[in-house]
Formats: sequence, structure tokens, C-alpha cells
Amino acid sequence: MGTPAAYFNEREHQICLVARMIEDGHTYWVAGGGSPMAAILLAKKLLAPEAVYVTEDGVVNPEPMLPLDPLMTMVSSRASYRALQWGTMNSVGFQAQIGLMDVGILNTLQVDPYGNINSTATGDYGGEHRRFGGPGGADSIAALCWKTILMTDQQKRKFVPRVDFISSPGYLDGTEGARERAGLPRGTDPWRVVTPWAVFDYEDRYMRLAGVSPFVTVEQVLAEMSFEPKMAKEIETLETPTEEELAVLRSELDQRGQITDVGKPIIRLDDGTYQFVEEEQDEAKAKETPSSW
Amino acid sequence: MPQLKILAEGKGEYLKVDPDGYREYVRDHKQRAMVSKLMSEKEAVEKFVANGDYLVYECNYLQRGPSSLIREVIRQKKEDLWLGAKFTWVAAALLVGAGCVSKLDVGFFLFGPVVEEAIREGRVKAYEYSNVVMSNRIMAGAMGLPFIPVRSFGGTDGFQYSGAKLIEDPYTGQPITLVPALNPDVALIHAHQADIYGNARIFGTGISHVESAYASKKVIISTEEIVDTEEIKRDPARTSIPYYAVDAVVHTPFGAYPGEMQGRYASDMGHVIEVVGATMRGWIPKYLDKYVYDVASHAEMMDKVVGYERMREITGRATIKEGYSV
Repeated sequence: MGTPAAYFNEREHQICLVARMIEDGHTYWVAGGGSPMAAILLAKKLLAPEAVYVTEDGVVNPEPMLPLDPLMTMVSSRASYRALQWGTMNSVGFQAQIGLMDVGILNTLQVDPYGNINSTATGDYGGEHRRFGGPGGADSIAALCWKTILMTDQQKRKFVPRVDFISSPGYLDGTEGARERAGLPRGTDPWRVVTPWAVFDYEDRYMRLAGVSPFVTVEQVLAEMSFEPKMAKEIETLETPTEEELAVLRSELDQRGQITDVGKPIIRLDDGTYQFVEEEQDEAKAKETPSSW
Repeated sequence: MPQLKILAEGKGEYLKVDPDGYREYVRDHKQRAMVSKLMSEKEAVEKFVANGDYLVYECNYLQRGPSSLIREVIRQKKEDLWLGAKFTWVAAALLVGAGCVSKLDVGFFLFGPVVEEAIREGRVKAYEYSNVVMSNRIMAGAMGLPFIPVRSFGGTDGFQYSGAKLIEDPYTGQPITLVPALNPDVALIHAHQADIYGNARIFGTGISHVESAYASKKVIISTEEIVDTEEIKRDPARTSIPYYAVDAVVHTPFGAYPGEMQGRYASDMGHVIEVVGATMRGWIPKYLDKYVYDVASHAEMMDKVVGYERMREITGRATIKEGYSV
């Protein structure tokens, strides 16, 4: 598919993993800004030009003027440039409600084995807790798209046995039919969880490790989870970014490094082996970075 | 007679639902006559925003929102507001930091120490929804209905802390989530163009500006430009909101500042970083002194604090005109 890149960082790798899941002729309802948006735009530039990108504020298939402004994306003239339709949050919500949105792409703070998502509060919601911004559009994306791709980091505090607060629904308590019993549409599912280190799918509504990046081991991935996932019979070795993918990501989509350059470790591919070339960012700094945008 | 089955319900307080009461309010208060509603931001907020009101703003402080009106609400030290905090970025934090808020219906806001502390200390009570569910609730209010069924939101913990109910749908027999309609006391909406009666044009994407205008008892439109009614009549399909839903029209060039107004000016990057930083680091009082309390009006802020050079710069960066034409 291209020349394997010699240098890339974890976030770039994760964005490329998601971009390669995107297919022509399908609709993608994508959380505003950040890695999910970078993944769909990278796919449309290079891999699946006929994939249809729909935003939380109801913009149907824009061709955003690049590079995007730092911080602000939704409702901006650059982000909604050359679209097929400008709608509203209600119009896109109703489009999703009738089943027009195939795949949702989301970021999250915390996820559990059932694919439930927390972006509201960590700790005890009724007592001591740390408050975050709420689900925004994620709840509707997770409820109404036929399938959902979730992006997060491979960290023990992010993969928890039970999220502290279900902001957006996965398989809820994991029992068969739980989503339907809660009034959610039939046939909608969490589908993939993608971190820089691994890709997960689901088996019987429980998270399953399906692929691992070549620069880490299965043991390292499992050590960064607070629960044990199911294991696929064969764990795929994930492909790292190509020079072509990085060229689009770095020179067209994210010139300022606002999405990818968040202190993520850099990996070097040298003579077939991968090595981390920088230290991981410290934990305290990581906590200050709001990753649920 | 068969009983309606409620399968689960949230325990969150919600704004009282009263569609007939709302109709009567509309009958008695919304001007049918074409009368000028043009007034200053000071007068509009004094007249139409009361302590204790439920307040919604369309878009937000950083994205084609009624930023100058939000600053005026803060300047007038309104209290005890209940915010419809959907898709809100920093606006909720500014209003909470200014002491204007006692309740929040959450869709999304940019978190930070100010809102977090206010919630932890019990000064502000939060109820949980999502951006789409909040927009759906306003849609129901705009339709004159008491509630709206939604296919999302069920099964979440937000449901537990909201006014939602899960019932057995009397038509399909399947479980369905209902959320209460929302008829806010006041909506703040920023428009590209309006005439003096309130016929307003808003270009580009949005959240629920048309719905908020129909759902809210008092509607304040700030507008970049006042146009003649003849101009409105030249292209009626572009009227987003008709005059009889509107209570006040405020002529406010750069009213969305520091946010972008599509087709007219880009966002002021430096200011955006300043206000986001203030939200994340708890420096809201300092921000409010500079941009709200130490100036008498939006005009004075633009003139003395922001200045011509930055207005020229953000205007120059608004290169995309398609769809936002005047």
C-alpha cells in the first residue's frame, strides 16, 4: 500500500489505523475535531475518496479548507466548505435516527469491556468526582450509527472494568438485547476500539484483542488495561503508517501538528525493527490534556 | 382502559412542561404587528433577561454565537439562570464563573476548574443530556408538544440524572425514551442580517437556532447588519426566523467576536486561546474584568480593547463567501 515510514508518532499511527477502516460509499458521522476528523479526512484524501463525511453540526460531505484552524472546527466556514448540505444538529440527529449514518467515529476518556463510553465524570458521580464536559454529540453517534469506532489511548485508567459514568452507550450491561431494552435502535453496535498500540473488536458483546502494533507486545497492551479482554485466535500485527499517509497528514491536514503533536512517543523503524525514540510524556501533563474533544 | 407503562425514569429536575401555558404566553406577548424592535444590547438584556430565567444561546461564544449578548448578561450581573448548555465550549464557564448560573442542562461544555468547583460546592446543579437530545427537546418546544420520543440516550447514566422517561411505546410495544420539551424563557441568537422587525437571516450550519426562536418566550436577535424589509422580501426563502417570533433586535457588528461569523470575519485566534486558557486555568475573573466589567458596552470593547487592527485582520481572513452572501 506504500512505503513504510521510518519515523512516526503514536497518534499518527492511530489515525492511519482508523483511516484504513474507512470505505467508499459509506457514511461516517464524526465527532467534531481531533483524531476522528483527521482519520476521515486522511481516508478521503488517499484511501477512500467516495467515503461520505458528516459532521455533528449537520454538514454533509464538506471539502474542508485546509489546514483547519486550531481549536475551532464546527460551524466554521473552513470546516463546512463545499458541502452538499448545511443542516443543523437536529437535522443530522434525525438523519442518524432513520438509519442513514453507517459508522460513527469517536474519541473518549474511558471505555469498558462492553464498549460503554465515559466523557462526563471520573470517580463517584454522586460524591467525589472529577467533572468533564459531557457527551456532546458522542451519545447520539454511539446510539444511532450502525457501527461505532472508538479512539482512545492504551492506558490502564482508560480501559476500566466498568466506566464510572455511561455518557454514551456501548453494550450497556453486556447482556443480549440490552440496547434494545433501553430503547436504542435494533442492530446498532460498538464495532472497533483503536489505540496507538492495539485494535479491539467484540465477541459476544465483550471486547476482544484483535491486533497489536509491531512496536509493542501483547503483554504490554494487556498491562495497560484494568480488565482482561477476550483474545482473538490470531492476533494480527498492525501495519504502521506509510510515507504517503504521513505526507498527507503532515503537509495537508495537520500542518501545525495540533492533532498529532501532543507529546506522543515517536517510533523509529530501522532495518525491520521498531524502537521508541522518546520518553513517554509524564502522567500529570497527560491529565491536563482534554482528550475527549 | 390500558395503562401506559413507564419502564424507567430519570430523577433530574427539568423545566416545567406546559405547552398550553406556552401557547397562552405566545398569544399574549408575541407582537403580531410589524413594529420596530430595534434597541441597544443593554436595553434588550434589561428588558428580556430576568433573574431565574432559563436561557439558551445558539451556537456558542467561539462559533457564530451571541457573544456580545452573553457578555451583556454577565455585565448586568443576572443571577440564578438555568442554562441549556448544549454545544457550549466556554460560554457555560464564563456565565458560571460570573456567578450568573444556578442550574445547567448539560450537552457539552469545555470543562475546567470553574464549573467543576461550582458543581462540587453545590452552587450549580447539573442535569445530564447530550447535544442532540437538548436540540431535540428544543425542537419539541418549538412544535408546541409536551415531549419528544428519541432513539438515543436510553441506557446511559445521563438518563438517570435527567428528566427522561423510558416507556413502552403504545404503537410498537417496544421500549422508547421520551424527553421533556423545552420552552426556554429566553433565547440569544446571532444573525447575519435582520430587519428592524426581527425577520432574520442566518447562513451556514447551526445547532437549533430556528427551533430555539420558536420555543422561547423571549427572543433577542443580535445582527451583523440591519437590512431593509424590501431586501427580506426579495428572497423570502432565506428568512430563517420570522419577525413574530422575535422580541428584540440589536444591531451588533462583530457580535460573535471572538468567534467566527462565517463570510464576514474569522475568529480571533489570540483571543480564543486567551479565553480557553482562562477557562482551563481558572482565570475567568481576570478575563471578565478585561472584556466585560471594565468596558460599558460591546462597542467600547471592540473600540478600546480589541481595536481596529484586529478587526481588520479577522475580516481579511474571512475568505470563504459562498453561501454567506449578502
